[in-house]
Amino acid sequence: MSWLVWRQYRAQGAIALALLAGFGAVLIVTGAQMASQWHSGLASCAASGTCAKLAQTLSLGSPLGRDFVLLSNLVPALLGFLWGAPLVAGEVEAGTRAYAWTQGISRTRWLLVKAGWLLLAAAAWGGAVTALTTWWYGPRNALYASAFQPNTFDTQGIVTVGYSVFALALGVAAGALTRRTLPAIAITIGGFIGMRLLISEVVRQHYLTAVTAFYNPLQAFAPPGPAWTLQQGVMDKYGQVFTGGNGPEVNGVPFSALPANCQKFIMIDPGTMTKTSLHAAVTCMQASGFRGFVTYQPASRWWAFQGIETGIFLALAAALIAAALVVVRRRDA
Amino acid sequence: MSEPHRVKVVAAPPALAIETSGLTKRYRRVTALSECSMVVPEGRICALIGPNGAGKTTLLRMLAGLAAPTAGTASVLGGTPRQDPAFLADIGFLAQEMPLYRRMSAADHIKIGAHLNSRWDGESARARLLGLDIPLGRAVGTLSGGQRAQVALALTLAKKPRVLLLDEPVAALDPLARRHFLGTLTSAVAETDGALTVVLSSHLIADIERVCDYLILLTRSQVQLAGDIEDLLAEHKVLIGPKKDTGALAATHTVVHTTTTARQSTLLVRVGGPLIDPAYEAADISLEELVLGYMGASAAPAYAGLTTVAEG
Repeated sequence: MSWLVWRQYRAQGAIALALLAGFGAVLIVTGAQMASQWHSGLASCAASGTCAKLAQTLSLGSPLGRDFVLLSNLVPALLGFLWGAPLVAGEVEAGTRAYAWTQGISRTRWLLVKAGWLLLAAAAWGGAVTALTTWWYGPRNALYASAFQPNTFDTQGIVTVGYSVFALALGVAAGALTRRTLPAIAITIGGFIGMRLLISEVVRQHYLTAVTAFYNPLQAFAPPGPAWTLQQGVMDKYGQVFTGGNGPEVNGVPFSALPANCQKFIMIDPGTMTKTSLHAAVTCMQASGFRGFVTYQPASRWWAFQGIETGIFLALAAALIAAALVVVRRRDA
Repeated sequence: MSEPHRVKVVAAPPALAIETSGLTKRYRRVTALSECSMVVPEGRICALIGPNGAGKTTLLRMLAGLAAPTAGTASVLGGTPRQDPAFLADIGFLAQEMPLYRRMSAADHIKIGAHLNSRWDGESARARLLGLDIPLGRAVGTLSGGQRAQVALALTLAKKPRVLLLDEPVAALDPLARRHFLGTLTSAVAETDGALTVVLSSHLIADIERVCDYLILLTRSQVQLAGDIEDLLAEHKVLIGPKKDTGALAATHTVVHTTTTARQSTLLVRVGGPLIDPAYEAADISLEELVLGYMGASAAPAYAGLTTVAEG
């Protein structure tokens, strides 16, 4: 059975390797360039003692390079519809299931061996892509402290392995269910993008309870390291949150929401507001119980989040393969 | 499952390769096969004849374990058709469209077969195809229809099946390719020396006459006629005589089909005793007349039992 998988997919495997090589070449060139920019930037800032402001003065690589790396988000979906969707549906459409399923092996073994090798290949391919991007991101992570931000979190670490395996399993299940490659491809692309958005936009921030830190609204505050800031703003003593909006405001708090005794420090026309009057207003706000707050996921949780997210996608993949197995076994060929 | 009534038979009954009882397959609205009960004794080459849509493909697919029956039972070599290596090892199934991986060569398929089957005779498949001058290294998608059919048949035979199920294998072939295909089939059957049972569906009676010794006629998703072809031909006669009431005749014989012209009637009868009415002229029947007579019979199925010897 394994030999059949090898024979059926060796050409596609070679194409996948060629794509990987091309992707790798671009990443290695642009990554090496960024690494040397980063090292010379560090050396010159150390000489002039301006390393604290390095993020403002140094820019690494080009936006084009970054967009290219974001393309690696599509790699798993590609696997899903190129390899996953036709795995069962292609054999149904070509009629070859009548050949494959009357040989001396059970359909269960046929599907498990075939899907198993492809899932392994998907994991390996996703792993290779993410190894490249993780290395590529090294200087950027150090400079911009952005590894926890949604776009960059999704393109490095180990999550890509989970995405790849999930996309392939989704393709297999969709193909087994619809028995036609084109609808299966549509379901795979739609399902993959939908699930990725759902997880990254809605679910991910709840993996572990977020930390909230309070601070004096007179001072600037940022969570330490490359943390993932979920919400930042000002809270009054009753716990009402202000995060800014339209109209005149002080630190995100609208004038109208200020206590009467603080409103007197500022004119209604913000154009005439002076630094002194603003400072007086904020001091008054602090005295009335206003606090700055920031809700965030600490940088130390980065690997835990990578692990949880990978686990979720692997579990989804396992469920999809199980569903495909039930469909292939139960339904008439 | 043993059948007690068979114990009474003095001569040992032939072992049955295939036995179905009330086998029924319904899709959402269509009944593809209805209450099909039939047997195929071991070692026979059985023709499964019927018009398109009669349920031949459905029956074969259920026997191969590719489809599950809605009702009834099927037994192939004593086991229920199922997705199990032990069962599938004994079955050779060739679907009508001769499905193969089009981009792979015959040699690739022979190698795949070796990996997927515990019992595999790749050497004989190779020899058979080389003997037919079929290139082993070319992608099967580039071969002619006849060559592809030969590759598919050789692969199915290389499994060393005990039951070979062929669904309209020659329908798409030209007459010469058809002759070659059936030649390969008969020589393969001869090599196995009675150990191989073949069920071959077709609507081409000439081909069947050349190859098969057993017949199952399926029309309107039901079995109309089944038995040894020689016996069936011996039991049926064509009677030509004046147009008159056939009541007396029907008392001893079964009138399968009647065609009448202005002056005379032609009757297809299953003989149930001596033919004594001198008004009729009796003639032997050809397989084609027999099949067409039963296909055209508008009456209820004249055939009720399972074996022809059980009657009379």
